[in-house]
Amino acid sequence: MSVFAMRSDLPLRGDTSGRFVALLVMVLVFVGALAVTVNAYVGGLLDNWNRSVTGTLTIQIPLSDARNGDVNAAVARVIDVLSRHPAVAHAEAVPRAKVIALLKPWLGEDDAVNDLPLPALIDVELRAADAGAVDAVSTSVKTAAPGAVIDDHRVWLTRVVGLANGLKIVAIALMTLVTGALGLTIIFATRASLTEFAQVIEVLHVVGAKDGYIAGQFARRALIQGLLGGLAGLVLYAPALALVAWLAARVDAEILPTVQLTPGYWVAMTALPFAASLLATVTANMTVRRALASRV
Amino acid sequence: MAFSRKKGAEFTGDTVALEGVELRYEDGPRVLADVNLSIPQQSFYFLTGPSGAGKTSLLSLMYLAKRPTQGRIKLFGEDVWEAKRARLPVLRRRLGVVFQDFRLLDHMTAFDNVALPLRVAGAGEITLQRNVSELLKWVGLEDSMNALPTQLSGGQQQRVAIARAVVHRPKLILADEPTGNVDDTIAMRLMMLFVELNKLGSSVIIATHNEHLVARFPFPRIHLENGKVTVHEPAGANP
Ligand SMILES: Nc1ncnc2c1ncn2[C@@H]1O[C@H](COP(=O)(O)OP(=O)(O)O)[C@@H](O)[C@H]1O
Ligand SMILES: [Mg+2]
Repeated sequence: MSVFAMRSDLPLRGDTSGRFVALLVMVLVFVGALAVTVNAYVGGLLDNWNRSVTGTLTIQIPLSDARNGDVNAAVARVIDVLSRHPAVAHAEAVPRAKVIALLKPWLGEDDAVNDLPLPALIDVELRAADAGAVDAVSTSVKTAAPGAVIDDHRVWLTRVVGLANGLKIVAIALMTLVTGALGLTIIFATRASLTEFAQVIEVLHVVGAKDGYIAGQFARRALIQGLLGGLAGLVLYAPALALVAWLAARVDAEILPTVQLTPGYWVAMTALPFAASLLATVTANMTVRRALASRV
Repeated sequence: MAFSRKKGAEFTGDTVALEGVELRYEDGPRVLADVNLSIPQQSFYFLTGPSGAGKTSLLSLMYLAKRPTQGRIKLFGEDVWEAKRARLPVLRRRLGVVFQDFRLLDHMTAFDNVALPLRVAGAGEITLQRNVSELLKWVGLEDSMNALPTQLSGGQQQRVAIARAVVHRPKLILADEPTGNVDDTIAMRLMMLFVELNKLGSSVIIATHNEHLVARFPFPRIHLENGKVTVHEPAGANP
């Protein structure tokens, strides 16, 4: 027998405060789902980036270095130094075509890109991803090409992590706010119902109901409202998620790699309506018990 | 302690005892003043008095819906307001109450209303089904078991209220004007139900202003007037 089919000692029809609880649970689950998704997606992105970035360097030979010969000569000198360096596993010049491809998202499809004077890039794979290796390699590269810019991707990654953490904090703050609002709404709605059903409660007491039994009646009502609202929240969230996924898919894969959602993500999503309903249930139960404890 | 007893042990003292009980509402006058009363086991009393004398108030003290402003109330030997709050439901389950205005739960069928005292006490559904149907048949409502209270006449509602009060075989039955809305034939039939339950061991107190009814039964009466009670033995006292 489901909770929905069970007989209730409290009249449920025309229960406006209950509907308000359902509405808030719906919003909470929606925001929660958003937070869980942002969290999973950002986590996945960082993971992707981290894997491809750690232990690698990008060396940029600017056009200005061409003064001492041409850029290609500078590249050759640096590659020579790197290939003999003990900390380097592999060093390779990035072909001009790939540099152009990387710039396309910013510069557009215009053919003029092909004629642009571009800096040369060298991808370096380190044997170990420690700061000492990065410093040693930097020193060697600077002697071969004084104008070289060495990017160990860490500054960039730090900023991405900062952005991700910012998003998480916003999502958590939003969830905290909505959870608080839900808790307070349930407390006030339950108190209002206690007044509204004072006669029913007196009858229940007179026929020998314990406070826990009466609290259970309210709690079950909150559970039903919570589950209904929670499911509605998830159902509403599905199209929102699809929209975000579609928007993300339009962004070039080089910038936003596809993120594989983990089983943990789906567990968290499924748990959301139940967690919100549990919160509603426990709050209603405690509110009633506290209110009844001070009565005759 | 004189009144202490083991759980489950058969109790032998008074069913209800009031000692120096006073009741006033807010800052109003005293509705009850220094009431002393003891109701022995398996006794049957009428509670009489003019309208507004405090009959309902006195009963509500006995069914623990109100606290006296002074004095002590003992139910089955236990000082009610000295006991822990968790004890109150246990004591109330030995009571059966018929409210003057019935207080049926309007969203529940007659059957579910009558089943309520058994359900809150956690009774099994199988025995519950049988007991409730049997009782509803006894009070002549076998055809209205699934009706909502609002679909029943005043007299039918009253019988549902009475059935709810006695379904769990209470040790003390408190009925507030239980025959007020039914004709004489049904009133007699309901009285016979109370008499029957009394013979089976329950104490019964029936508040009424129906002198005719009081005169037909050989039971003592508690008379309430100006906040004082007086107990009168039946006129032709020989039951
Ligand atoms: N909840 C209440 N608040 C204030 N006064 C009340 C309340 N209930 C009853 N009274 C007053 O107490 C007195 C006794 O009422 P009640 O016990 O209903 O008498 P009866 O049942 O004998 O008609 C009346 O004067 C009534 O106005
Ligand atoms: Mg009255």
